[in-house]
Amino acid sequence: MTEDILTLLKENVIQGRVTQDDEGFDEGMVGQPGVSELIEKALAQGINPENIVNKGLTAGMNIVGQKYEANEYYIPDMLASAEAVGVAMEILEPHLAKSGIKSKGKVIVATVKGDLHDIGKNIVSMLLRGAGYIVRDLGNDIDPQVIIAAVREEKPQFVGMSALLTSTMMHMKDTIEALTESGLRDKVKVIIGGAAVSEEFAQGIGADGYGADGFQAVRLVEALSTNVES
Amino acid sequence: MIQNGSVGGSFKPLTEESIDRIHQTAMEVFEGVGFEVNSEVALGFFKRAGAWVDDEKHLVRLSRKRVMELIEMAPSEIRLCGQDEKHDIFLGGQRVYTGTGGTALYIYDPNTGQKQLTTLDDLKRISKLVDQLDNIHLFMLPTYPSELPVEQVDVNRFFAALDNTTKHVMGGVYTLDGVKQVMRMAEIIAGSGERLRQRPLISMITLGISPLKMDRQYGDLVVTIAQAGIPLVYPAEPLCGATSPVTLAGNLVIQTVDSLIGVLLAQIINPGTPAIFGSVASSTDFRDLKYLAGPVEMGLLNAAGAQMAQFYKLPFYATGGMTDSKVLDAQSGYESALTSLLCALAGANFIHDAAGLMEFALTTCYEKYVIDNEILGMVMRAVKGITVNDDTLAFDLIKQVGPGGNFVTAKHTRQFMRGEHYQPLLSDRDRREEWEAGGGKVTWERAARKVKELLANHSYRLPAAIRQQVLSEIAGIVD
Repeated sequence: MTEDILTLLKENVIQGRVTQDDEGFDEGMVGQPGVSELIEKALAQGINPENIVNKGLTAGMNIVGQKYEANEYYIPDMLASAEAVGVAMEILEPHLAKSGIKSKGKVIVATVKGDLHDIGKNIVSMLLRGAGYIVRDLGNDIDPQVIIAAVREEKPQFVGMSALLTSTMMHMKDTIEALTESGLRDKVKVIIGGAAVSEEFAQGIGADGYGADGFQAVRLVEALSTNVES
Repeated sequence: MIQNGSVGGSFKPLTEESIDRIHQTAMEVFEGVGFEVNSEVALGFFKRAGAWVDDEKHLVRLSRKRVMELIEMAPSEIRLCGQDEKHDIFLGGQRVYTGTGGTALYIYDPNTGQKQLTTLDDLKRISKLVDQLDNIHLFMLPTYPSELPVEQVDVNRFFAALDNTTKHVMGGVYTLDGVKQVMRMAEIIAGSGERLRQRPLISMITLGISPLKMDRQYGDLVVTIAQAGIPLVYPAEPLCGATSPVTLAGNLVIQTVDSLIGVLLAQIINPGTPAIFGSVASSTDFRDLKYLAGPVEMGLLNAAGAQMAQFYKLPFYATGGMTDSKVLDAQSGYESALTSLLCALAGANFIHDAAGLMEFALTTCYEKYVIDNEILGMVMRAVKGITVNDDTLAFDLIKQVGPGGNFVTAKHTRQFMRGEHYQPLLSDRDRREEWEAGGGKVTWERAARKVKELLANHSYRLPAAIRQQVLSEIAGIVD
C-alpha cells in the first residue's frame, strides 16, 4: 500500500500534475489524484515524510531529469514537475520540521535595479523550489540596499541575481560591493545569471558562480552547498 | 548596383480571415486585458488620450475605436534619409529594404576561431565595411562598445556610424542625455532641427517588454524622441512559449499589441510622428528557453507581421537573416538565408538584423557582413520576381533564332542578362580545377579576403567643418 502510493506520487511528479484537475504529459489523466491529493493521503496513512520526499518526489524528479537529458522533456515539462514538487514541499514542510529534518537551504533571488526582465529569474526560483530549497523572490528592479536588508533579515545561504540588459548588469557588481561594505559578503554565496552575463563576467565582479540556465543554477547551488558543508 | 525598394508580397502566410482574427483578438487585449506602463509621463499621455488607467497597477486599457483612431494618425510611409541621397529609403507598402542590426557584445574572428568583446574601433570599421556593401541598404548600429561608460555610449555609437557611412543610421539608445546629444549632433550634420525633420539622417529604436509591458526608461525615451519628431521604432520581442503563447497565432497577437503600444503613444505625444511597427518575434529553445535567432518560425512570424503592418497601413520593421551558429558554417548560411527570404517575399519594409549577426544575436563578425551581403543580393532578386511582357517573353527573338539556334549572340541577351540574373560577388562558380588552383578557399576565407580589401579603401568622413563643429560642441566623443 505504502509502495503503491509512493509509486503513484513519483508518477505524478513525472507527469507534472499538481491536482486531480490537471492534465499530465500523457493524455486521459484528468480526474485521477494529483501530487497534492496523494501527499495528503500519504500523510494520512502515516507514511514517514522523509520517505515521501525520497521515494516519491526526488525519485520522480530524477526521472524527469533523465527525460530532459534524453531530449524527451522540454522546459515547460520540467517546470510542471518542479511546480508539483514545490507544492508538495509546502505541504510537507511542517511535518519535516516536526521530524527534525532541515531544509536544503534558503536562496534570495532578485532581478537587479533598472531591469524588469524577470522570466529567467522566475524559472530559476521554480526549479530551486522543485529541488527542495526555500526561495524568497524579491521581484524585479531591486535596489542593492533592498537585497542587503533581505540578507540581514532572512539569513539565506545564497543570493541569486539576474539581469538581461547590458546597461543593468553592472548593478550586480554594485550589489556585491554593497554586500562587502555591509560585512555580509562572507555570509552568502552569490550566483548570477541572465542573457548579458557570463562566467567571465561573474569572476570579474567577484560572484561565486554563474548559471547559463535554470538547471545550471540548481546544479551550481547544489555544488556550492557541498562546498559550504565541507 | 543598388537593388532596393523592390516590391514583395508574393508570400502570404496569413489568409485575410486569419489577419482579421489576429486583429480582433489584439483589440480584445487592448480593451479587456490592457498593458502595463511604468513611465509616469507616458502614463499621463495615455490618460489624457482617453485611456482607462488603473494608477495603482499602472495598467492602461484602450477602446478599439481609440486604438484605430490613433493608428490612423500615424504616417503609412516614412522616408529615412542617408547623408547621400542615393541611400534614401522609403518605407511603406510592400517595398523591401535590408539592414544590419544589433546589439552584439562580441565579435568573432574566423581566422582564430575566437570571440572577444567589441570595441568602438570595431564599430567604426563595420560602418566603413557596410558603407561599401550595396545589398545592405540601411546601417543599424550593430555593436555595443565595451570599453565605454554607458553615458558615453549613445553619442559615440552614432558618431562612429555617421562619420563612416552615408547610409541612414538607425540605433538603439540607452540614456536620456545620450539621446539629446545624438539629436543635437544630427541637427548639426543635417544643418538645422528643421532640416533634420525634413531629412531624418537618423532614427531611434526603443524597446517594449513582451508581454504587454513598457518599462520606465524606454517609456520616457519614446516621449523624448516623439517630441523631437525623430522617426522611431518600438519593437516587441514576443518569444513563443516564454513571453507569448507558444502558438504562432498567439505570438502574433502579442506582437501586434506590443508594437502598437509604441505607435499609439508616439501619436498621442505628437500626432503624425513617424513610428514604425516593429517585430523581433521569435521562438525559444524549449530545452533551456534561450532566445533563438535562426528558427524557421521566426521567418514565418515576421512575414506574418509584415501582413499585419500592411493591414494597419504602417511601415514595418522585421527581423531576419541571423543565425544561432557560432561559426560561419552551413547552418549560418541556411538560417540567415531562409529567415531573410521569408520576410522579404512577404514585403517586409525593413528587414533588420539581416547582416552580420550570429550566436543568438550576441556576436557579430566582419566576414558575415560580406556573406550576408551576397545572401541579400539573392533575396532582393527573388523579391523582384519574374517580369512578364512582350520584351521578356521574347517571341520575336525566338522566331528569329528558330529551332537549333542559340541565344548567346543575341542583343536581347546582353540587354537583359544583368537585370534578370543576379551576379554573385562572393559565391564560387569556378570549375573544380580553377577553384583548387585559386587555393581551394571556402566561403568565409573568400569573405575574409573581401573584408581586407574593403577596409583598405578610403573611408568616408563627415565634411571637415561639420566634423569640427560636432567635436567641439558635443562632449564625450572619442575621435
